[in-house]
Amino acid sequence: MSDIQSYGIAWPRFRIEDSMLNPSTGRKGVTRAICFSDEDVMTLAFESSINCLAKSQISDLKSQIDGVFFATSSPVFRNRYHASFLADLLNLPQGILAVDFLNSSRSGTDALLLANELVDTGKYRNILVVASDVDFPSIGKETATSFGHAACSVLLSREKGMAKITSAQSFSSSVAEEFSYKKKNIQQDPRFSRDAGFKTNLASALKKFVSTPASFDAVILNSLYARLAGAVFAKAGFEERQFTKDSLSQKIGNTDAVHALLLLMNEMENEKKNILLADYTNGTNFFEIKNHCSLTEKILQNQLPEFELINSYQDYLLLRKAGNFESLKYETKEMFSSEMMYEREKESLIYLEGLKCAGCETVYYLETTRCKKCMGEKFSGVQLSKTGTVYAFTHEHYFPSSFPPITMAVVDLDGGGRITVQQTDTMYPERNKLEIGSRVKLVLRKMIENGSKPDYFWKIVLINNS
Amino acid sequence: MNSKLNDIAIIGIGVTKFGELFHQSYDDLVRDAAMQAVKDAGISLDDIGAAWLSTAFPEIGVFKGRSGMDLCEPLSLYNIPVTRVSNFCASGADAIRNAVNSLRAGECDVALALGVEKLRDRQPQDSIVKMMVEYGHPFLQKGFTAAGTFAVYANRMMKEYGVTREDISSISVKNHFHGAMNEKAHHRKACSIEEVMASPMVSNPLTVMDSCPTTDGAACVIMVRAEDIDRKKHRPVYIKGVGLSISTGWDLPFFDPNHDFLSFEATRNAAKMAYQQAGIINPIEEIDLIEVHDCFSIVELLTYEDLGLCKTGEAKDLIRGKETQLGGKIPVNVSGGLLSCGHPVGATGIRMVVEVANHLRGNAGERQVNNAKRGLTHNIGGPGAIASVIILEN
Repeated sequence: MSDIQSYGIAWPRFRIEDSMLNPSTGRKGVTRAICFSDEDVMTLAFESSINCLAKSQISDLKSQIDGVFFATSSPVFRNRYHASFLADLLNLPQGILAVDFLNSSRSGTDALLLANELVDTGKYRNILVVASDVDFPSIGKETATSFGHAACSVLLSREKGMAKITSAQSFSSSVAEEFSYKKKNIQQDPRFSRDAGFKTNLASALKKFVSTPASFDAVILNSLYARLAGAVFAKAGFEERQFTKDSLSQKIGNTDAVHALLLLMNEMENEKKNILLADYTNGTNFFEIKNHCSLTEKILQNQLPEFELINSYQDYLLLRKAGNFESLKYETKEMFSSEMMYEREKESLIYLEGLKCAGCETVYYLETTRCKKCMGEKFSGVQLSKTGTVYAFTHEHYFPSSFPPITMAVVDLDGGGRITVQQTDTMYPERNKLEIGSRVKLVLRKMIENGSKPDYFWKIVLINNS
Repeated sequence: MNSKLNDIAIIGIGVTKFGELFHQSYDDLVRDAAMQAVKDAGISLDDIGAAWLSTAFPEIGVFKGRSGMDLCEPLSLYNIPVTRVSNFCASGADAIRNAVNSLRAGECDVALALGVEKLRDRQPQDSIVKMMVEYGHPFLQKGFTAAGTFAVYANRMMKEYGVTREDISSISVKNHFHGAMNEKAHHRKACSIEEVMASPMVSNPLTVMDSCPTTDGAACVIMVRAEDIDRKKHRPVYIKGVGLSISTGWDLPFFDPNHDFLSFEATRNAAKMAYQQAGIINPIEEIDLIEVHDCFSIVELLTYEDLGLCKTGEAKDLIRGKETQLGGKIPVNVSGGLLSCGHPVGATGIRMVVEVANHLRGNAGERQVNNAKRGLTHNIGGPGAIASVIILEN
């Protein structure tokens, strides 16, 4: 048993309508969350984790976290998408247990399940479970796949939190989703994967794990075959009113390894008290969750209506050229970047550990020997904030970008310190106009992608727009 | 600092045509400017005791100018000390400063300072833009072009002082009007304010015509101590003050919470040094013409205040009243400035000195400032970090 101490979610600002992806097969009114060109698995994982940690009540949290579990079904080997790097971005202590859960749509709940077990042993105090998925189907086949981009982070703790996982089990299955290979194509036999696989597994698992079906006021089943599960559940003693509808996939798409966690958070925000979560992919993970506090802030549901629609398939294609800083005016061959520089400068550049002059209290973002204002040499460390006000800006029409112009802004951070960074989420600049005095917040995004190694740095988004 | 300095005199000046000089190599430009100056001074190359070569960006040009050697080779000028100077847009002025100090120290009797830059052999996007996009820190300031680093000043000026886009573009109109009279300028065509404002946007509010072109060119001056002037053959112009100041860094202005983006501290410091050396108290009354570093039109406007030509916030009144146009109270950039002449970075500072020297000699032709006795040149480089001011008298 463990407690859900806090959770955080993140998904891209942009969504595209199914009918835009494919006018003949796409459904009107159904949208999917799509990463902006500088977002990826890591930026979403980072944002959801930051949101999650900020909601925790535990004091001196970072030193109390014993593990980071990173779950994704996105291809990870091309890039630095792994738990250790995420732990590093989050400035968690070195030597922390950082484990990757890869290659399965069930990996999100796999991570949750194992984290729950470890906390239950008493050896681990707090484990951060992060699921993040950014996967693009091949171009032209988008509506045949259920995809959407999102991340969800859950802090599991032995301290009392907002909800308690009272039971966590897994029932494995040897029946694979994919049936046969014909040349290079994978042929699916629905009878096999649905009936022999899904239904059999679920029926056996329910029989084994769930003793009191009537005790649940919310039953969540995350599976592509969820619609077919009614009879199986009925046979196990459940009633139809207990089932929850997956309202998220109509809005942000099916987010794969993240989806079960998002559905759980959604039901917690619906203030369901006894939740059964079942997550099926080649086996089922079962969780019984007692939600014992009514949430004051509906983090997920409040963020759901905030989005920008992508205007055209053309714009969507431009987004998919993630990280290529190409434009009509300029084609970059290579931008300079160095992992050594990142490693050396991360305390200041990424962790925002600034310096405050002991003499005049001027706060500096960049390392300095003497205060520019009073020439004092004594400084104390200060944690800079991630919100601020635009002091000056310009729109750069000639810096290469998929969506020119790039807006550069000089931002005075709340509590001191000044930073100059790019504005992001500006696919449609006219909808995101900055002014001197605009309130903004820092978000971590991709800066440069040389070959396969992305670099991450701060950019800003308008506060009332995000 | 000692304000009574030994006078240094310029005895030879030379400047190439500025523009897309596809028919001339880096070496050709060096020869062109140097031999003009040598001829003007009435000396031989062998009289030169030490030299300074100013090329700011060999790596975005033709990889020439990485050391003083690239001055020696085209001139066959060997067996003397030659130093390459690199200080962004103040490189040319700094070459002169070093030559002046060498003469004062007695290291040599005849000093040559030559600035040259060959940028047009590359596509425009492959030179200055490339420098901002591909080089430099991977994160800090990434997204800026050179124009953008000055455009933020324009936006602050508009917000704080009621400067309008018309005021900024008027600088470009004035300088293009002057440039049409300069046979060595890159662009020799007057333009209207509508044309400036309608040209493609580079970094709001600066348009293409608010920005100087990248240009090939070279300029050269030869200097001696005043006591060594030969009255019979020289028409000397005296260097009365040289100020150079680095007052912030490449990154600092954009990360310094006390920076107001309304002024260049470096210009103020450099001007203070030069004014003190030349004994200038009220610059607008005591100076007859000024060459200002108008890499982008906003920089000229802002510099009026930093040079002390007007009070803070009043620069717009000078341009609105046409006070800085030829015939006005204090003509600025009668050469056409960087906006018309173009900006071969290492050559610009020396080109300005040659321009002012021509006026002080009464040799400036159609654009001559009447009765010019004293002139000033100004450069600013980096993101407003490095400034130089030189005062010249006849």
